[in-house]
Amino acid sequence: MSEVVLKMQGIIKDFPGVRALNNVNFEARSGELLALMGENGAGKSTLMKVLSGVWPYPTYEGDIYLRGEKVRFANTKEAEAAGIGIIYQELNLIPGLSVAENIFLDRQFTDAKGRINWNQTFAETQKLLTELGINDIRPTDLVQNITVGKQQMVEIAKALSLKAEILVLDEPTSALTDKEVKDLFRIIRKLKADGVCMCYISHKMEEIEQIADRIAVLRDGQTIGEVTPIADITLDQIIARMVGRDIKDMFPKVDFTPGEVTLEVNNLSVTNPDLPGGYMVKNAGFVARKGEILGISGLMGAGRTELVGGVFGAYPDQTTGEVKLNGQKLDIKSPKDAIDAGIALLTEDRKALGLFLDKSISFNTTISSLETISSRVLGIINTQQERKVVKEYVDQLGVKTPSIDTVIGTLSGGNQQKVILGKWLNSRPDVFILDEPTRGIDIGAKVEIYKLLNELVQQGVTVIMISSELPEVLGMCDRILVMCEGEIVSNFERDDAKKEAIMAYATGSA
Amino acid sequence: MSADSNVAGVGVGGAKENHLINFIKDNATLIALIVLVIGLSFADDAFFTARNLSNLSRQVTIIGIIAVGMTMVILIAGIDLSVGSVVGLSAVVCTLMMQYGVPTVLAVPATLLVVGVGIGAWNGFWIAKFNIPPFIITLGMLTIARGLALTLTNGSSVPVTSDVFPLIGGAYIPPMMSSIVLIVCAALAVFSIFRDVQQSKAHGVEVNMQELLVNGAVMIGGFALAFHVFTSYKGIPVPVAIFAVIAFAGIYTLNSTRFGRRLYALGGNEDAARLSGINVVRTKMIVYTVISVLSALAGIILASRLNGASPNLGTMFELDAIAAVVIGGTSLAGGSGKVSGTIIGALLIGVLNNGMSLLGVVTFYQLIIKGLIIILAVWFDVMQKKK
Repeated sequence: MSEVVLKMQGIIKDFPGVRALNNVNFEARSGELLALMGENGAGKSTLMKVLSGVWPYPTYEGDIYLRGEKVRFANTKEAEAAGIGIIYQELNLIPGLSVAENIFLDRQFTDAKGRINWNQTFAETQKLLTELGINDIRPTDLVQNITVGKQQMVEIAKALSLKAEILVLDEPTSALTDKEVKDLFRIIRKLKADGVCMCYISHKMEEIEQIADRIAVLRDGQTIGEVTPIADITLDQIIARMVGRDIKDMFPKVDFTPGEVTLEVNNLSVTNPDLPGGYMVKNAGFVARKGEILGISGLMGAGRTELVGGVFGAYPDQTTGEVKLNGQKLDIKSPKDAIDAGIALLTEDRKALGLFLDKSISFNTTISSLETISSRVLGIINTQQERKVVKEYVDQLGVKTPSIDTVIGTLSGGNQQKVILGKWLNSRPDVFILDEPTRGIDIGAKVEIYKLLNELVQQGVTVIMISSELPEVLGMCDRILVMCEGEIVSNFERDDAKKEAIMAYATGSA
Repeated sequence: MSADSNVAGVGVGGAKENHLINFIKDNATLIALIVLVIGLSFADDAFFTARNLSNLSRQVTIIGIIAVGMTMVILIAGIDLSVGSVVGLSAVVCTLMMQYGVPTVLAVPATLLVVGVGIGAWNGFWIAKFNIPPFIITLGMLTIARGLALTLTNGSSVPVTSDVFPLIGGAYIPPMMSSIVLIVCAALAVFSIFRDVQQSKAHGVEVNMQELLVNGAVMIGGFALAFHVFTSYKGIPVPVAIFAVIAFAGIYTLNSTRFGRRLYALGGNEDAARLSGINVVRTKMIVYTVISVLSALAGIILASRLNGASPNLGTMFELDAIAAVVIGGTSLAGGSGKVSGTIIGALLIGVLNNGMSLLGVVTFYQLIIKGLIIILAVWFDVMQKKK
């Protein structure tokens, strides 16, 4: 059995009012991939921040051992020097600089006079990339011109150039295409063979099955059970450890007969502002019926987000085509027009496009339907009515929060998403479009969102759901559109939909 | 809930001191203002007299009125550099109109419309419709409006011919009326606080006692001081009354109206605001129009008080207005801030100017000190946000 390189013992970390980590214990060995699993808010990211010196000693209690030696980092630089590399969910690269400059940022090779030796910097970068078997990135490429997947590779190369022996990957695949995931896994396997110890944070069970050696589960800031070899544990057991209870029915789909057509989209095209003459969506047409959940599947960048954004009036200058609601042609020039017509869009990127992070739950819930809680003439807000409405949604959706005045940025992803759902429900939409509604959300909250979608269709709302997770699309949707390179290439009824067929269309190989 | 009990045990020891430190941090500008007032009262006998304070309050109104608008602009992560020039242009336009025989009652609204709405809509149009940085658009307008004022007057001052016009900036509400107005306002304020607390309690919302006490104390102190000053020296100056109405309207708009909410949303996250159905273009245009109208009003009041208009009136006012907003705690990044803070900021600058003049500090030094205080205020704000 290989050597234990990392051991964290009795880690306790308090934030004002919350204990984020409560006695965490685990160890990781060289040459293995340890999957760190747990629902959002379970403390995974906090734990990794303790490890990497973001939270220096003594802001936490407990001990960290590297190869048996106790370490206490005062800052991230010390952790880096000790061989700990972290690749965060949000990448930390500088878009306007080249790959080589990013990797050797502030460590460029210089001559005696302090002038940068570019040749050597580029050559060393090339060497690193070759070692990792990455042959489609050049050291001189600007980071902003390469895909997110490749940017991730650059981050890994950077960590390795710092001689990282312990590599933490925080949800590395959340923005990658299938092919990029495969590349990443190839590199991970190679690193394992080289003896690097990796801690891998992820929600995706399929991935864990593929590459993890052992698994540790966190719940409410505590490690649940021992670190277990992946071969000795079933998926259900993992979920049970994560949620603290058995989830019987992951996809509680109820059958419902779809009614008449509500939304009809014809010939919708969205041009690409970065590429003259290019399209992000090309001549897309589809219908959605009352009381159905219509799924839109496809790879990253297939144009799904742009399609629904086009319908919603998010880019009026780039969009052409016809949108009809209940047989009536709509003239949508802005999201406001769409909302007024009865369309709601829950955006994919919660932080950038959905939330007012430093504002309260209350503010976030009512911002898109202020008319319902204010006087007609001067727009004077009735605070009592607002509180009542917000309370109702918080209760109905099961948002876990101390109060409706709590700043939304302090909530977990799942609870934030519930608040945004409440915001759109409050606008009483006929057509509710949800773009990756369960991304980055824990399993418990996912099931709650599925149940809510069921309730909505039963009330006669048309639900359109974009999702990259095939099990979710197959489990919850009545009909599935598949997009590939800006076009709708296929339309499956629920009973005919198969994973393989959808993937074939999505990748353009059908 | 084992986690809760654990947390409860953590920070009990330092709770008292933390309370005090937090209190000072939350109310730093206010405390600075009070300290400054007390210090100046001891330093110079002429400071804490009804006459001086009454004049001081009148001086503050000009920047104060502009700063209320500037709070809204900065709240949506914008800036308006043209306000000083708008002050000059509106003063000139209004006095010129009267010179050509237009009666005051027409000249004033016409100026507000032509100069205020006109320039504001122009600024807002370019900023909102074409997404041009407000810094650039209003910097351009700073020059244009000043140039217009100079062109219209050929560079010389315009005297005031009307008898009514000087009253806007110079008249007082008689002491008797003033005391009635103040008492009614105080009663309304007490009533509204009382009602808020009742409603919060009825909804099970925890009342922030500290905030309530501070607000109450400030209000009682403020009204008492106003009562003393204005009843013992001529009454409430008309411009102060105008400023009070505008400040109240600003506070109320930001706190309690749809429009106010939208400003916070727009400043906090413009993309999310747009996707939440907020009409970004219209909202921005309104905000830039409001500040321009307020600046035009400030120009009219100033011309009235000075009994004449120089085309150079209002030079550098934009800096004082921005300073008042920033000292008052509104974030230049947008999304957070309050008009009440801005008022304190404006008072602080006003007291500082007044005090330094009384103490005979040379104007050159005054500029340096003012600059340092602005830097200090922003530094303090940034340090606090880091925590």
